Amino acid sequence: MAAKQTIEGVVILAQESRFQLTDDAGVSHLFVLSHGAFAEPSDLSILQKQQARVRVRSSEAPNLKARVAHRIELC
Amino acid sequence: MGLHERIHHYPQSDLDGVIPNESELTGGVTIEPGRSYGFFTDTTVCIGCKACEVACKEWNNLPADSIGLTGQSFDNTGMLSANTWRHVAFVEREGDRGVRAAEQAPFQSGWLMMSDVCKHCHNAPCLEACPTGAIFKTEFDTVVVQQDICNGCGYCVPACPFGVVALNEVDGKVHKCTLCYDRLKGGLEPACAKACPTESIQFGELSDLHEKARERIGVLHERGVEQAYLYGTPDGPGATGDLGHLNAFFLLTERPEVYNLPAAPTRASNRVRPSLTTGVATIGALALLAIGLFSSDRGEGR
Repeated sequence: MAAKQTIEGVVILAQESRFQLTDDAGVSHLFVLSHGAFAEPSDLSILQKQQARVRVRSSEAPNLKARVAHRIELC
Repeated sequence: MGLHERIHHYPQSDLDGVIPNESELTGGVTIEPGRSYGFFTDTTVCIGCKACEVACKEWNNLPADSIGLTGQSFDNTGMLSANTWRHVAFVEREGDRGVRAAEQAPFQSGWLMMSDVCKHCHNAPCLEACPTGAIFKTEFDTVVVQQDICNGCGYCVPACPFGVVALNEVDGKVHKCTLCYDRLKGGLEPACAKACPTESIQFGELSDLHEKARERIGVLHERGVEQAYLYGTPDGPGATGDLGHLNAFFLLTERPEVYNLPAAPTRASNRVRPSLTTGVATIGALALLAIGLFSSDRGEGR
């Protein structure tokens, strides 16, 4: 099981189930929403429009330059 | 393509917002709902730069996948997938059994390059196979998967005769090229067509693209490239098996199989009636056989 990591930042981009989050250091992280997450792609566009600050619990995705988002919480 | 006169209205580098109907300036086409749009990919001018792949990944926020080297020429993308909606195929024609020739012919003539993409079929088999209605025809006559409705059943995956539609195991939904549905709604041409430096990928209204393609075929034939033909135009190769026509069609100079395209793609739904008839006939025959055997057994028992 891949190690999980929590990243906090602002949702700056959302496309389908993919979203980009910029952390406080200005680094952008790409996530793909897990099928088990309590969120839908339509929720991501709302978070992006609100430039919402969120906390994302994620793990590494196999053979993919993105992380799998398992849980998204508003800060 | 000549420059549109409206281009002079925007001389500055920094813009306040999106240019209204920007596609008029970049693609020479006005995007209006109710019309049919698509791609014309002229493989004879593709230089394999992969700008289309990058533009697609950037706009659609798609992560890099298949990390590593394939060992297949300059192709490290491999194939279309849930995270790769444009794939530039590199076909090396010179050399022998995978060994590259020591000398290359000039003008990249030892290469065939083609930017592959979802064909946005007129009679889309993926759409017909979708039990939830997640796959639909847009107002621009393109085929798009609605992510909030897709339940990840994957029926559309084998239904696609081109192997385009793919299931993402991370989010459990299928993904494919949307022909930049969001950009079309905003009056922008698709990212790949805008990024293509040689206009190998041309975006436009389908009837205009068909005309342009026929003209291009004429020019190539005049220049001696007599093997050039269109794949996916009405009644042409690629538009077989009741697919109608392909909204993303190609100009090729070799057999379709060389580009990893099927020679005669068909709709999966065409096979439902014969499969069902065969199945019912088999059940009927087995039932009759069982009745016959049962009757003869009883007859012998008396």
